[in-house]
Amino acid sequence: MKVSICIGSACHLKGSREIIKEMQELVAKNGVGDKVDLNGAFCSGNCVNGVCVTVDGTLFSLKPENTKEFFEKEIMGRL
Amino acid sequence: MVTNDATILHIKHNVLYEVAKMAWEGRLEEDRDELPYKMIPGPQAQFRCCIYKEREIIKQRVRLAEGQCPVGRDSMNVVQVINAACEECPIASYLVTDNCRKCMGKACQNSCNFGAITMGDNRAYIDPTKCKECGKCAQACPYSAIAHLERPCKKVCPVDAITYDEYGICVIDETKCIQCGACIHSCPFGAIGTKTFMVDLIRLILAGKKVVAMVAPATEGQFGPDITMASWKTALKKIGFADMVEVGLGGDMTAASEAEEWAEAYKEGKKMTTSCCPAFVNMIRQHFPQVLDHMSTTVSPMCGVSRWLKQKDPETITVFIGPCIAKKSESLDLNITGNADYVLTFGEIRAMMRAKGVELEPEENSYQESSVFGKRFGNGGGVTSAVVQCFKEMGEDINPEVMKCSGGAECKKALLLLKLGKLPADFIEGMVCAGGCVGGPSKHKSEPEAKKARDILIGQADKRNIHENLVKVGADKVPMHRH
Repeated sequence: MKVSICIGSACHLKGSREIIKEMQELVAKNGVGDKVDLNGAFCSGNCVNGVCVTVDGTLFSLKPENTKEFFEKEIMGRL
Repeated sequence: MVTNDATILHIKHNVLYEVAKMAWEGRLEEDRDELPYKMIPGPQAQFRCCIYKEREIIKQRVRLAEGQCPVGRDSMNVVQVINAACEECPIASYLVTDNCRKCMGKACQNSCNFGAITMGDNRAYIDPTKCKECGKCAQACPYSAIAHLERPCKKVCPVDAITYDEYGICVIDETKCIQCGACIHSCPFGAIGTKTFMVDLIRLILAGKKVVAMVAPATEGQFGPDITMASWKTALKKIGFADMVEVGLGGDMTAASEAEEWAEAYKEGKKMTTSCCPAFVNMIRQHFPQVLDHMSTTVSPMCGVSRWLKQKDPETITVFIGPCIAKKSESLDLNITGNADYVLTFGEIRAMMRAKGVELEPEENSYQESSVFGKRFGNGGGVTSAVVQCFKEMGEDINPEVMKCSGGAECKKALLLLKLGKLPADFIEGMVCAGGCVGGPSKHKSEPEAKKARDILIGQADKRNIHENLVKVGADKVPMHRH
């Protein structure tokens, strides 16, 4: 599963680094490193809301505080 | 630099400069659409069929400079085709030239096994639908009248990732592309470029973030014998970077970790490859996944230094600066924790500097954070020397046989041998650019041109040992493996 997180400046300032760090920890904790491929993405111009996260082509808008919930639902839930 | 693309570089750097300037002044949103008109005022076209095409190319270059694809296409690739700039070079690869005398010997026709050659009015003709591109006719012609044409981009691609669409426009096969960037400077029309993080970084610096630069080991010598690491530090601080670190230090870190891995593998009789060149890592992953087990799990010098900086202050934003394009793809691989947040090439950082009126200026060579071995990491054979030095420092009596590969073709050959179980060496040192990182696609000067200055600058460094250096700067406790 390909997960892309925007690392552009707008998303950075909205906390994309915190999201990345937490996702990396969650992937390791759940032992799904061989199934989940985490990638950085250049700005896709959708930065009005939260941090842009794409899971297998579907775009989501995320806030750092929702990362865990999002990971359970959209990543673990799809594996 | 002696280059065949000086005109293109001029335009490319002008676009980077103008975009950087607008970003520093916070007027990119309002003014970006004006740039094509400013740079191509007209009414006469200079290089292309018309000013409208020239302006479209500038527009696509601006998009790349901002980190977007040149056209609205959604693609993750770092290396991108500027499709308005692609001149649809002929694909037919064998062509009869004016040298043809339509002779009586007809060696071309006789040598062709596919019946592709007939005699035209003035010269022989090769039917492209029948030609299998074997090259026999070109070899056979006594007048050397048959030319082998290959698209320059396709010719240099080490992994055969260049294809074309139905209109003959270059298309990169992203499943094959290892992001080495060799095609970029090979195109005589400048039709291939890379996305940049320049605007993002300017915005983060303006937002007051702590951004620390990490300058590649290949840097010393690129800008003459007077431009030292201290010169870089001063210039970078002037444009708002919080600090600068020499990635030669990361060379020391990687060498120390790799020496432990290699020593263990050597005793077990297991063959291994290096893992510091990101294009080489991409080549293994995408083209030789069977040998992934043999790839060192040590992270790159860039990642080592980034982790060290983040260990000291987790809020630090780390930026690698060097001659490498593939490093951009390494920074986008988030499966590795703590790696560089962003990557800039020499051209991009210098555009950011010039846009602020800052230049690299001569300064005393007073600043050293790396051993000489770490500094030489950017030269072909440099990784091996550093690892061997570590063996000495560890008291290990190991003299490994290393196949030192520089350039895509050599890397590919060695990996193929490893895959087939026929590698006649213990280890592979893989660097996809010829000569090592100093031959990187975004180098300022070629290796021979920069050699003298590089030798002078590195010659001024003290002769500290690798392990001693790591302890001295407190970089001996950084986790150096991928996971």
